[in-house]
Amino acid sequence: MAIASAMPSESYPSAKVVDRAASAGAVVALAGCLLLPFVEFRPNRIVDGRLLHLLQCAGVWGWVLLAVLLLSLGAALLPGRYRGRGLLAGAVLSFGALLFALGSATTKLMPAGDTPARVSIAGGAWIALVGIAMIWFQGNRVARSHKASAAAALTGTALLVAAWWFGGLSQLSLAVEYRAQADTFWQLTYSHVLLVLGGTLIATVIGIPLGIVAARSGFARAVAIPVVGIIQTIPSLALYGLLVIPLAALGLPTLGTVPALIALTLYALLPIVRNTFLGVSGVDASSIDAGLGMGMSRRQLLWRVEFPLALPLVLEGLRAALVLTIGIAAVMAIAGAQDLGTLIFLGWGSIAVDLVLLGAIPMVVLSIIADQGMRALESVVVSPGIRIPREEELSA
Amino acid sequence: MISLEHVTKRYGDRMAVDDLSIEIDDGDVAVLIGPSGCGKTTTLRMINRLIEPTSGRILIDGTDAATLKPEELRQHIGYAIQSVGLFPHLTVAENIATVPKLLGWKTARIVSRCEELLALVGLDPAQYSRKYPRQLSGGEAQRVGVARALAADPPILLMDEPFGAVDPLNRDRLQGEFLRIQRDLKKTVVFVTHDVDEAIRLADKIALMRDGHLEQYDSPEQLLDHPETKFVHDFVGADAALKRLGRVRVDSVMRTGQATVRADQPDAIEAACASESRFVYLVDADGVLVGWIDSRVLDRGTPAAEAATRVDWRQAAVRPDGSLKEALARMLALGYRSLPVVAAGGRLLGHVTLSDVEKTMEGGDAHLADHTDNEAGSIGGGGE
Amino acid sequence: MEAAATLAHARRRMIATTGIVLAVVIFFAIVANQALVASMLIAVFGTARDPVFPTPLLDLTPQHIAIVIVSSALTIAVGLPLGIWVTRESGRDFRDVVSAGVDFGQVFPPIAVLAVMFSAWGLGPAPAILALFLYGLFPVVSGTVAGLEAVPPEVIDAARGMGMGNWRILFVVELPLAMGVMLAGIRTSVIVNVGTATVAAATGAGGLGLPIFTGISTENIGYVVEGAVTVSVLALLFDGAIAVLAMWLAPESSLD
Repeated sequence: MAIASAMPSESYPSAKVVDRAASAGAVVALAGCLLLPFVEFRPNRIVDGRLLHLLQCAGVWGWVLLAVLLLSLGAALLPGRYRGRGLLAGAVLSFGALLFALGSATTKLMPAGDTPARVSIAGGAWIALVGIAMIWFQGNRVARSHKASAAAALTGTALLVAAWWFGGLSQLSLAVEYRAQADTFWQLTYSHVLLVLGGTLIATVIGIPLGIVAARSGFARAVAIPVVGIIQTIPSLALYGLLVIPLAALGLPTLGTVPALIALTLYALLPIVRNTFLGVSGVDASSIDAGLGMGMSRRQLLWRVEFPLALPLVLEGLRAALVLTIGIAAVMAIAGAQDLGTLIFLGWGSIAVDLVLLGAIPMVVLSIIADQGMRALESVVVSPGIRIPREEELSA
Repeated sequence: MISLEHVTKRYGDRMAVDDLSIEIDDGDVAVLIGPSGCGKTTTLRMINRLIEPTSGRILIDGTDAATLKPEELRQHIGYAIQSVGLFPHLTVAENIATVPKLLGWKTARIVSRCEELLALVGLDPAQYSRKYPRQLSGGEAQRVGVARALAADPPILLMDEPFGAVDPLNRDRLQGEFLRIQRDLKKTVVFVTHDVDEAIRLADKIALMRDGHLEQYDSPEQLLDHPETKFVHDFVGADAALKRLGRVRVDSVMRTGQATVRADQPDAIEAACASESRFVYLVDADGVLVGWIDSRVLDRGTPAAEAATRVDWRQAAVRPDGSLKEALARMLALGYRSLPVVAAGGRLLGHVTLSDVEKTMEGGDAHLADHTDNEAGSIGGGGE
Repeated sequence: MEAAATLAHARRRMIATTGIVLAVVIFFAIVANQALVASMLIAVFGTARDPVFPTPLLDLTPQHIAIVIVSSALTIAVGLPLGIWVTRESGRDFRDVVSAGVDFGQVFPPIAVLAVMFSAWGLGPAPAILALFLYGLFPVVSGTVAGLEAVPPEVIDAARGMGMGNWRILFVVELPLAMGVMLAGIRTSVIVNVGTATVAAATGAGGLGLPIFTGISTENIGYVVEGAVTVSVLALLFDGAIAVLAMWLAPESSLD
């Protein structure tokens, strides 16, 4: 689970001379920029691409990027009070410089007019992005200020928009591909979301009662928990393959939305059933004794005591189910489901890298939204009495 | 009235409760006690049918409990347990409101009842009603547990080691408060404990159990003075006389009329010297105990500042509703032969002497006609 | 009592070990017998369309296993030391950044990692193995960190009090106690790798995904079922093998 939050940040040794994690991030980013190709240029789709390094292609922005990365490295040496904000500033500026360097390289390389030429992001830029993320994360952690973190996130977004509109980022092959596919892209994203929500919803309707029954009866537990476990062990693609025969036998379509939805539902069952089971069966015996002793019926006990106490785990199961099905839904595109996986498989089939990324990136975004959204929902619906106390509450 | 008639509970071959018959009168505190596994908790849980007896009947005011709907039965019997079992996801107020809500009370009535109960158990409603159980100390949680058990004003209260999980000091205080509340409310209480001192202090009747059957069911005095079996004798221990002290309240032997001087009086020392008593208590403007002066030391010409012994009333005084056993323990610990008695805020009420405690222990009637102190009671050997 | 429990566990462990070895032997005996596979498929689907995938299972299965084992071995070789390092004094500064990265990585759909690797390195088994390695890293590292941090500090304190050095404490106390959680992470990692390796057939990595993809695109259910059943059994065998391994390496935590 979220081991990042398991350790209180007080233990952070801010007295150390240098922030090693942040400086490592800066070194990774610098190495990516200097040692690996930054962008790939292809005059057309048939010719092999040409790999270009940062200083070969990005002009003055290349030097700017190196400079701000060195500044970030310097920020790792700042005294404790300024270090966090310094790192955040360094990370945001490096992020901006990276985007403008990409944009600048694209503008320089792309011939004028309607052209089949494409410029795409290469390994060095990806590595640099990872390094910058490390600095950013460490900055958030050291600064320990919601304001500073929010300001950094806002500035980063603004820089992304600026690089898109004024920095030539919109000429990057991924953006070009997006514009070519915009209608299909949004339609597929939409149906992807529907498929995921549909599968998770059905799994919730089945899984929560199943989990409760499993917590109540030893027989149900002995059957349900291993079965959902086995389902999840089977590779998603194989699960579809195994569904084909019963579907055909029942006269149901073997391609398209129906098998995809069934597979997604089956997959989403495990986290939901297991977490509901663990949540309900993990309720403290004294709460149950007290509830029964005060005259609650089994039903009242379930809805007033056991389920609210199990809710954090149930929601965690839903979160896992959503994140899981976002990926599985893409695999189901091979079985004729229309979703972002369609773009990925199309891209693989035609060796069109940008098409693949156009499918993959929004999936990542969707996963992050689902993940963060469920965590936010949890903080709203779970009783403050059983939420893990935040640091500020503890000190208050 | 609660009557258990030949109640038996069997688990396989094991007899958890074996042909148990007892009667508990209205307004009495009946304590079930015995070594672990003796069936006391099982007995308690059969009364509100969390456990169904294998055979026998349990009558509540003449009605066979088995004929009632278990939920309804339990809603009219308060239930407090050692692990408290407060619902962690509900606030203190919501916890107390559980049974009233099950009974369909109106919100306004529930809110006022919660405040009333929190005040009753000594917690400030404004401060506590919106807290969550995890924000409470062990003692506070127990109080809320008792308040929750009392929420719907049930005539019967079942308590399963309700003070078992708190430290001795808090347990002592909670027992005192329980007695105070019980004096007002007159509930019929069935109380399970394994602590003999607790049983003797709280009980009107004690049922001593062993291996599922009843050894003796009697008043604490009878149990202490006339144990029917060797087991009972061994269980209550050799210090029966000492234990009896646990049942006597400090204020029943407290002497009043002690010499008192305001500490902020400029002539405090002179006033103390003028007193006939050897010891003179010092109090502040509100009557709160701050110390005492040994006038004998003064006579020897000791400087006045050294003569006064300043004390914290929380340490060196006892409460009127405390037990003599506690008072004796404190006297022995502090090395004093007499202790001041103070009210909740530290206001001096009187004092209690070792000789009075001894008299009580010897079985003599401690209720002397008048406790006015005219023999210059001696408090410890301060200064010697 | 305890001795009896240990004895019962030892017996269960022997039965489970024998079971998994038998299952593996039977699995390979069937996979190796192409004639048997063909006759079973024909029995179910008839001969109207040849239901038997041209490449024999005996070629596809080892390919698949090789991809999983190579990537999982890499994952463990990197993930375990990384997880151990960030819980040591020397690596503690990196603990939070690594955990955050690992938590973030687990939100990624595996197919997206595959997609990114394909974008960076193109077709073939190498990018697939790299993607599987990277994605498998997340549960292994988080399991290792969680397992090591769950070791009660008083146990470590007691070991130190008895005069053990840091390395000895790690190998004699911490790793054995963390083994259950660590193996759970490895189990997740390997199972996801078996599944993702199936999808990786679409990027030219070969393996048991191949008959499934081919079957779907040629509408030959025989191919699909041949691949699906084989890879499902393979996944369950991996799962069972790791569970049995856990019975040997972490007896306390695998009693369930």
